[in-house]
Amino acid sequence: MKRHIQIAWLYPDLMSTYGDRGNVFALKKRSEWRDIEAKIVPVTLETSVSVLKRCDIIFMGGAQDRQQKIAGDDFLQNKGPVVQHMVEKGMPALFVCAAYQFVGKYYKPYQGDRIPGAGIFDLVTEHPGDQAKRCIGNTAAAIINPSELSGTVIVGFENHGGRTRLGVKMKPFARVIAGYGNNGEDGYEGAVYKNAIGCYFHGPFLPKNPAIADWLLARAVGDSLAPLNDDLERTANEAVRPQS
Amino acid sequence: MPFLYRFVIIIAKGISFFSARLGLGAGETWPGEIALRFKPDILTRVSEELSEGVVLVAGTNGKTTTSLLITTILEHAGRVVIHNATGANLVNGIVSSLVRNADWLGRFTADTGVFEVDENSLPQVLSFMAPSRIVILNLFRDQLDRYGEVDVITEKWQKALSGLPVSTQVIANSDDPGVVWVTKSAPGTVTYFGVNDKAAFLKKREHATDSMFCAACGSRLTYDGIYYSHIGLWRCPSCSNTRPQPEVTGKPKVLTGLYNRYNALAAIATCRTMGISLGTVHKALASFTPAFGRQEELGKNGRKVKLFLSKNPAGYNASLRTVLEQKATYFLFVLNDRIPDGRDVSWIWDVDFETIPASAVCYVSGDRVYDMALRLKYAGVDTRRITAGQDLASVLHQALTAVPSGETLYVLPTYSAMLEVRKLLTGRKIL
Repeated sequence: MKRHIQIAWLYPDLMSTYGDRGNVFALKKRSEWRDIEAKIVPVTLETSVSVLKRCDIIFMGGAQDRQQKIAGDDFLQNKGPVVQHMVEKGMPALFVCAAYQFVGKYYKPYQGDRIPGAGIFDLVTEHPGDQAKRCIGNTAAAIINPSELSGTVIVGFENHGGRTRLGVKMKPFARVIAGYGNNGEDGYEGAVYKNAIGCYFHGPFLPKNPAIADWLLARAVGDSLAPLNDDLERTANEAVRPQS
Repeated sequence: MPFLYRFVIIIAKGISFFSARLGLGAGETWPGEIALRFKPDILTRVSEELSEGVVLVAGTNGKTTTSLLITTILEHAGRVVIHNATGANLVNGIVSSLVRNADWLGRFTADTGVFEVDENSLPQVLSFMAPSRIVILNLFRDQLDRYGEVDVITEKWQKALSGLPVSTQVIANSDDPGVVWVTKSAPGTVTYFGVNDKAAFLKKREHATDSMFCAACGSRLTYDGIYYSHIGLWRCPSCSNTRPQPEVTGKPKVLTGLYNRYNALAAIATCRTMGISLGTVHKALASFTPAFGRQEELGKNGRKVKLFLSKNPAGYNASLRTVLEQKATYFLFVLNDRIPDGRDVSWIWDVDFETIPASAVCYVSGDRVYDMALRLKYAGVDTRRITAGQDLASVLHQALTAVPSGETLYVLPTYSAMLEVRKLLTGRKIL
């Protein structure tokens, strides 16, 4: 079991719109509480890919349009292929919101051409037109994959215009209880490929959903982890579940 | 102003008067809403009645304090001012404050209007009227679910400002690259205010920044120093986009906190363009009392309570820095997720709660109490030092009981939470 891990945080200054760093904080703290040393490694435009290659876990968050364009060129040309290789090898990774769309094959805006994605995930995202409602609000879903977490209720907040459809290589992450999910139609939220998870639950997803954080960490250290006192996490998760 | 408009104002005033008498509340927004229903362009006509013109105050943080500072200075200079002091800053709130000022014949006693304007409403307000002055304070991420992204607001403002007449003067923050970019589209003269003070530079950058990249060419901006968030001495290394030298700078003596220095400089710069003497300005600032919930000091059973409205990452960091400079030990954090607060509370993870010392005693409440408690846990606060509960009255009571006499309870609430805390402390509602 690894006692030192490095958490790659992709584009913390560009793809970090709304509390995304809660995820890297959760990974770091939950490692440290188990005496595993965790270092957050910011990977941005100027960072060499060799720094990225040494990491044990990958996180990438949401972005505004302008910032995503700036990050986009660098990701498609430099970091994307490396991330793809790492994900194929079984590297644990979390992509939320804009990053989730961006690791797919393409994003089709309601006007203009398709914007190519990194193609790490077999999925596509389309914007249904300027009259379509943005998917905004509190969310809850029950995990389907990874199967060992099946049934765990995850909570969060979504805010996206694009609708995502999964290709055959992807497994759905969760079944929507409240909210829109991937496209507001098929009832699925997010996607799983090998040890990588993508989802529309944006911003600080891991703190209130510590089971996912621990699942990613276990894969980073290569061993199962001792449980922590998660009373507050559980209370926070249960407090915001929509009443059915 | 044509009689019809005066008549509409009298009607709106009458309805609001009777409803107040009947205990239904005078309403901060709906007298204006009524007037707007009858005459959608009422704001245009009414603003023309104010002989000394209208000052609009826009920006993510500091609108209420800055517009109150400007009002205070102008009143010291003998002006009669209409001001939306309660922070009702949509079109209907501005019209409501006008209706309230009018007499029963629909006439105005005021000569100047000072209105803070909501970020989303600014283009609409500008489509109705050409202010004599517009103050632009700053642009930060705030309530993404309501306002959209900072870049979207920037674009809307740029478009709205480009339609203004040359006579509208702009007073803007030289230290915010996003604000400077917006002002480039304004046809009128721009007066910049800013801070030149190396001692106030941050030693460690905050995480919550929004305009670190050049709006003109996309390069990463270079900073000789940062005061907070992305506010500082900036320049683009690749193109000519650079911080303009501020004409109004210094360290005015009013309120604490760097962010209030900016608010004061904005007010001073504005009043200077209106020909108010420096002597009058400083006399006015010396008499200034804070706006509700903004560093407002309230007492309860011999305990001091200070309220620091904290509603987005940049503002929250500024509040935290100020209260920590005051050696705060007892905290009450209240996080709500209602419409005026923003439904999405993700932003608390962009606030640097890691700066809270280990000796802090933390009380937590609000609609999203456990989200806030969890944030504190991951910031390294010992959970045994956190008291969390959904019932605000009870948590506030516990906190006040715990604070030793002579000590201060520092309350950092979101907007609707601030109103609730105030009501519990003063027994009165202001909105």
